[in-house]
Amino acid sequence: MDITLQPNGAFHSALVHLEPGDQFKSDSGAMFRASSNVDNDVTTISRGGGLLAGLKRMAGGDTFFLSTYQTTGGEGGEVGVAPTLQGHVAQVDVESSQSWLCAGGSFLGCDGHMDLTPRFQGMKGMFSGENLFFMEVSGAGPLLVGAYGSIREVPVDGELVVDTGHVVAFESSLSYTLSKTGGSWLTSYLAGEGFVLRFKGQGRLLVQSHNPREFGAMLGRRLPPRRG
Amino acid sequence: MELDVLGNPDYGELSIDLEPGEKLNVESGAMSRMSPSLELRTHLMGGILAGLARKIFGGESFFVGEYGGPQGGHLSLSPGLPGTVLHEHLDNSELILTAGSFLACTSGVELKTRFGGLRALFSGEGAFVLRAIGTGELFFNAYGAVIEKQVNGSLRVDTGHVVAWEPTLSYSIAGMGGLKSTLFSGEGLTMDFQGTGRLWVQTRNLPATAGWLTPFLRG
Repeated sequence: MDITLQPNGAFHSALVHLEPGDQFKSDSGAMFRASSNVDNDVTTISRGGGLLAGLKRMAGGDTFFLSTYQTTGGEGGEVGVAPTLQGHVAQVDVESSQSWLCAGGSFLGCDGHMDLTPRFQGMKGMFSGENLFFMEVSGAGPLLVGAYGSIREVPVDGELVVDTGHVVAFESSLSYTLSKTGGSWLTSYLAGEGFVLRFKGQGRLLVQSHNPREFGAMLGRRLPPRRG
Repeated sequence: MELDVLGNPDYGELSIDLEPGEKLNVESGAMSRMSPSLELRTHLMGGILAGLARKIFGGESFFVGEYGGPQGGHLSLSPGLPGTVLHEHLDNSELILTAGSFLACTSGVELKTRFGGLRALFSGEGAFVLRAIGTGELFFNAYGAVIEKQVNGSLRVDTGHVVAWEPTLSYSIAGMGGLKSTLFSGEGLTMDFQGTGRLWVQTRNLPATAGWLTPFLRG
C-alpha cells in the first residue's frame, strides 16, 4: 500500500494505491473515487454491538460505518478519500508499540491489517452535541486523519487543555480526562465552552484549527426549525 | 504578550502567550486550547441590558470569557467560521464591529454594544454592532477572505459582508433599488458608508450560506 496526500489548496484529499492482497479500512462516507476493480465490504461499529443496535443508533450518530477496500482480479487499484468538511489531511505512521486514539469525526482510514477498537466516552449524552467517540488504532501502519481547517501537531509534555471539538488524534501514552473549562460548569457554559479534554503525560497530539460543532451551531441558528 | 496570527487566509487562528496577570477577553466558544495554568471567568459584554437585548434580538452570545492567570500561559483561539483573522492595535481609538466579527481583545479595550436601529433588526444581519474603544489589541474575524478598503467618499456594501469600520465613517441602511428588488433579487439590505476611514469587508456571508442550504433541507 502506498498513500499520496493531495494537498490542493484549502481542500485536501488522499489517494491510496492498493496492491493485490492489500486492504484499506475507511469511514464509509470518506471514499470519493475508486478503481473499478476495487471491492468494498461494509461493517458497522456501534456502541451496543451488532447490526440491529447499529440501525437503532443511526439517527444518534453513534454508529460508525466502516468500509474495507481490496482489489480484485490480481491487479492493483486506487481509492481516494477526503474529509466531509473543507480542510487538511494528514498521515500518521502508527508504530506497533504505540496505539493512537482518533476522534470519530476525524478518522479517514488506515491499513486494513491494523486493529480498530471504538471507545465511547463516559459522559457522552449528558449534553446534546457532545458526542465524544474515539477510534483506537493499533498495529503498525499508516493512519489517515482529516480536519475541519488546518491540522497542527502539538507535542504534549506535562498538561494541556483542548476543546473537544479541536481534537483530531493523539498517542495513547497521553492520559486524558473529560472536564470543564472554567472553575464551574456555569462559568464554562456561559463562556460557550462546554467540554474540554485535559491531557497529561508525554506524547503527540494533532489538533484542527476549526471546530465542526461550532460551525454547525452557527449555521443551525439560521436554518428553519426541524419539524417532528 | 506574544501573539501570532496563523493560517490566514483560509483557516486563520490566533496563538497568544499571556504574561503573568495579563488578561484577554474572548468571544464565546472561541478557545481551542490553553495551558492548564490559565483561569476562566465570564463577563457580560457591554452591560446587562445590552447583553440581554443582544441575546433576545440578536441571538448572539451574552457573555465573553476572560482568560488569564498568575503564571500566565498559552492560549489558542479560532473563530467558528473558516476565514481570516485580523489584528488591530487601538491607541485611544475606536473600531466598530458587526455581531459575530469579534474574536478577542486585551483588557485596555472596552466593548460596548450599540443598537443598530430598527432597520438593522429587520435586515437579519444582527441588530447590534459592537464598539471596541480604548488602548490595546483587538482581534476580529472574517468569513472567507477579507478586503480592507480605504473609503474616501461613499461605498455601498451588502450588510452580511460588513466586518468592521472606523467611526469616522457614517452609514445608512438602504435596500438596493427599492423594496421590490430587495424582496426578489436576493440582494439583502445594504449599508451605505459615507466619509473617510477604513472598512473591512468579508467575501462570504453566513446568512447567505444558510439561505442557500435551507431549500435543500427536508422537514
